[in-house]
Parts: sequence; structure tokens; C-alpha cells
Amino acid sequence: MKVLYGFEYRRGVSVIHRIDPRSKMIYVILFTALTVYFVNPLVLLLVLSSSFPIVAISKIGRRWAQSIKGSLFFIAFIFIFNFIGIVWATGSVWDAVISGVSMSIRFIALISIFSVFFLTTSPEDLTQSMVQMRIPYDYALTFNMAMRFVPTLSREAQIIMDAQKSRGLEMEKGNLIQRIKNYIPVLIPLIISSFRRAELVADAMESRAFGASKKRTSLYVLAMRNRDVLFILISVISFLLLLSLKLVFGIP
Amino acid sequence: MILFDDVSYSYSPGRYALEHVNLNIGEGELVAILGENGAGKTTLVKHINGLLKPQSGRVTVSNIDTKDSTVATLARKVGLVFQNPDHQLFAETVEKELAFALVNFGLPPDEVSRRVDWAMKEFELTQYRDRPPFMLSGGERKRLALASVLCYDPQILILDEPTTGQDSRQKIRLATLLKRLNSEGKTVLVVTHDMEFVADFIPRVVMLSKGKVIAEGSAEEILTNKELLMSASLLPPQLAELSWDLALQRPTIDLEQVVSAASKLVGGSPP
Repeated sequence: MKVLYGFEYRRGVSVIHRIDPRSKMIYVILFTALTVYFVNPLVLLLVLSSSFPIVAISKIGRRWAQSIKGSLFFIAFIFIFNFIGIVWATGSVWDAVISGVSMSIRFIALISIFSVFFLTTSPEDLTQSMVQMRIPYDYALTFNMAMRFVPTLSREAQIIMDAQKSRGLEMEKGNLIQRIKNYIPVLIPLIISSFRRAELVADAMESRAFGASKKRTSLYVLAMRNRDVLFILISVISFLLLLSLKLVFGIP
Repeated sequence: MILFDDVSYSYSPGRYALEHVNLNIGEGELVAILGENGAGKTTLVKHINGLLKPQSGRVTVSNIDTKDSTVATLARKVGLVFQNPDHQLFAETVEKELAFALVNFGLPPDEVSRRVDWAMKEFELTQYRDRPPFMLSGGERKRLALASVLCYDPQILILDEPTTGQDSRQKIRLATLLKRLNSEGKTVLVVTHDMEFVADFIPRVVMLSKGKVIAEGSAEEILTNKELLMSASLLPPQLAELSWDLALQRPTIDLEQVVSAASKLVGGSPP
């Protein structure tokens, strides 16, 4: 569950933290598209490395590394399944390795790009930017709260796992099916307590008059600045450069 | 029985949750672990069944170093009941919930059903046998969580905040049960904020503050020490406060003693 630490916003003062969420969203959308567009592992590595300067400037290295480290388990999983699948279909081990590697890098790149976004964007700013993009406030808030409760959920999952282990549950015991079954005693309390919490939050919001006024106004309004223009420019140029690798040089 | 030898543990670098803790709890003791929020109480008890392993120092339970054992092995000996029952109840019925640990430990079916019956009777849950645990009230869920651990009869029993959300009748029931288990030779540890519960029922106290053991001794001695309670942000039991107000020479948490001292003060004979 460590992977989730990489998505929990921490206050920061770097220029990346101060960039408008909408600018960062442009970067996220462009580069997410690239991860899907390319299959060559070297190009995917370049896509991944686009997040490195952002990590360095915003000084979020430790948390970012945690999210990457935490995802290694899934990556191993993806690699193995992809490998087996390709060997099965084509019989070529070399193809399978290449495909497994690019699948894994693609996944790391996605985690890295999103992790950079969520680590440097405060939930309030994100909601505000969504509202300014004319997304209804209710939906923006719902999204924001879903993100907000991810770390809470991961902490709770840890407590539940501890409680069940104390009753003799061995998570790593048995074959694959048994191992999946071992998660039932963890998932059920987690789901039920999430529902209970959702109800509590709804009650708490209503008792503080949520939705009482039809038209909301904002205390702060986000505005694009020079640094946003620069950030978008760099994102778009590097996006076009990477895209040209395929359109001009024909690298898949 | 339970031995902490210079144990330290921290969740994030630079901030200790436990700092050089030394503690020795003998077989058959009944001990309360007190301390303010975030004092390290839960971290401490998680070391006893191996959920956490000391980052430095050693924890031994019945001469087994917890580092050399697994939670599943230690859990057979050490029953740990968590604070929030909703973090562990998951089965379709109360009966299955109680059987979960028993099945995990590989007990034979007739033994499982015998122990489930015992636990339901002991905790007044028999009428809910086929009910889903989530349909029970808060207090009943708390009892069920406790029963689901007690039913496998661990040698050491650790309860994290067992009295929250329980009415006085259930508290007394719990205390009676703990006393009985204790007199049968079980080692019982209770992590709590409930000072009255400790004062009335638990003889020995270990007090934690900011990750350190700041005091250890009899409940009488520690719960009447004003400075100590203040420094750990704990409310003194009412009898201790009464003894201070009456300016008793030896403050006490024993009802009889306070009553006789008070009646001596007003010049009457003890009732």
C-alpha cells in the first residue's frame, strides 16, 4: 500500500507547487497519451524521464520514490503476465521480454506522471481548477474527496490486516486462489467501514449546511501566469519532439 | 513471560514511537497500560504478538524472540483484541466470526463448535448466532470482537481500549471475566484511558508517555501520584481526588479506606 503515499499532497513552496493545476493537467494528458501511443521501451523511458526534472525542482524525491518502490510488486505482476501471454501467443521469448519490459516501463511512467501531479497539487486548488473548467461543483468535490480518502483507506487497510493477522490469518499462505480468498477478511471490513464513513461525512456536511446556497462563489480564483505559459510551452514542445520520433523517424 | 529489552521503534525517522523501553511482565499478571494519546501504547502491544518487530533491542515472549517467530505462531499464544471491532468483523454470521481464528489455528471441528458455544454464552451473544455481525449494536460488536479472540484461549490476552462504548454492567462483566481468566493463570494486559476501570479492577500499572515508560508499579501508588498523572495528561480516579481534597495522609483508591477516613473527619463512626 506504500504506493499510495506517492499520491498524498504535502504542502510545498516550489515553483511546481505554485503552477496552476490546469497547466499541470495539460502535461499529464499529453504524456499519458504518449505512454499509450508508443511501444518502443526506449521511447517510453524518455516519456518516464520527463517527470524527473519536475521531481527534482519540486523536491518531492522521497515520496515519489516511495510510490515507485511501492508499485514494483504490481510491475513484476504485469511483467510476468505479459510475458506468459506473449510467449503463449507468438512463441517468441525475445518478443515477450521486449513487450514485458515496455509494459512495465509504461506502467512506471504512468505512476510517475500522476504521482508528480498529485504530490504537487493541493486538493483545494484541484477542485477550484475543475470548477473554473465548468465542471459542476458537486462532481469536482466528489472527485476531490475520493482522492482525499485514499490515504485514509490505505491506513485503515493496514489496521485491518494487523487485526486479522492477530487472529491467525496468514495472507501469504496457500495457492493463488487461496491467497486471493485470504483477502476477504480484509476487504469486507474495509468496504463496510468505507460506507459507514461516507454516511458520516454526508451527515457532517449537511449539518454544516452544505448545498444551502444555490450559487457558490470562491474566495480565491486561479489565474494563469507567465510560469504557467512557460510550463505549458515546455510540455508541448517536448511532447511534439517525442511525437516526431514516430511521425518523422518511424520509431514505433 | 513478556520481556522488553531496550526496545526502540519509530514509524518515521527522527521521531520515536517507543524509545529504549524496558519492561518485564510475569506470568499470571494483570496489568494496565496507561498513557496519553500517541504515547506508544498500541505500538507497544503490537510488539508482543510480532505485528511489529523492534528496530533495536529485543522482545521475548515465553523465551521466544519475536524476531524469530511469525505473527501466526505468536498469535496462538498472544490474543490481541483491537480497539475498533469494525476493523475485524467480516463473516456472514456471528457463529462464523467466532470460528474464524479457531479454523485458522487448525482446531478439530467438534472443538471449534464447543468453543464457539462457550464464547456465545459467555458474552451473551447466543441469540445472535445466525445474525450478521454488522447488524449488532456497537457494544455487542465490541463484545463479539473480544469473544472472537478469547475463544481460542490464548495464554496472554491483550485488550486495546476494551471499555469504550460499554455500559457499566458490561464493564463489570468484563472486569469479572478478566479477573477470572487471570486467576486461572492467564496474563492479561489492558490498554486503556478508563482510569476508574483501572482503579477498581487492575492491580499493576505501566505508564507510558512520549514513547517512554515513565512509571511502573501498583495502581494504588501510581494513580494517587498527582504530578505523574498530570505529566501523562491522565485524569485521576475520583477516589484519588477525594483523598487529596480530604488531605488524607496516604491518598488511596480504595473505597473503604476513603469512607472510613472521611467519617473519622466528620467525627462519626465508620458505617
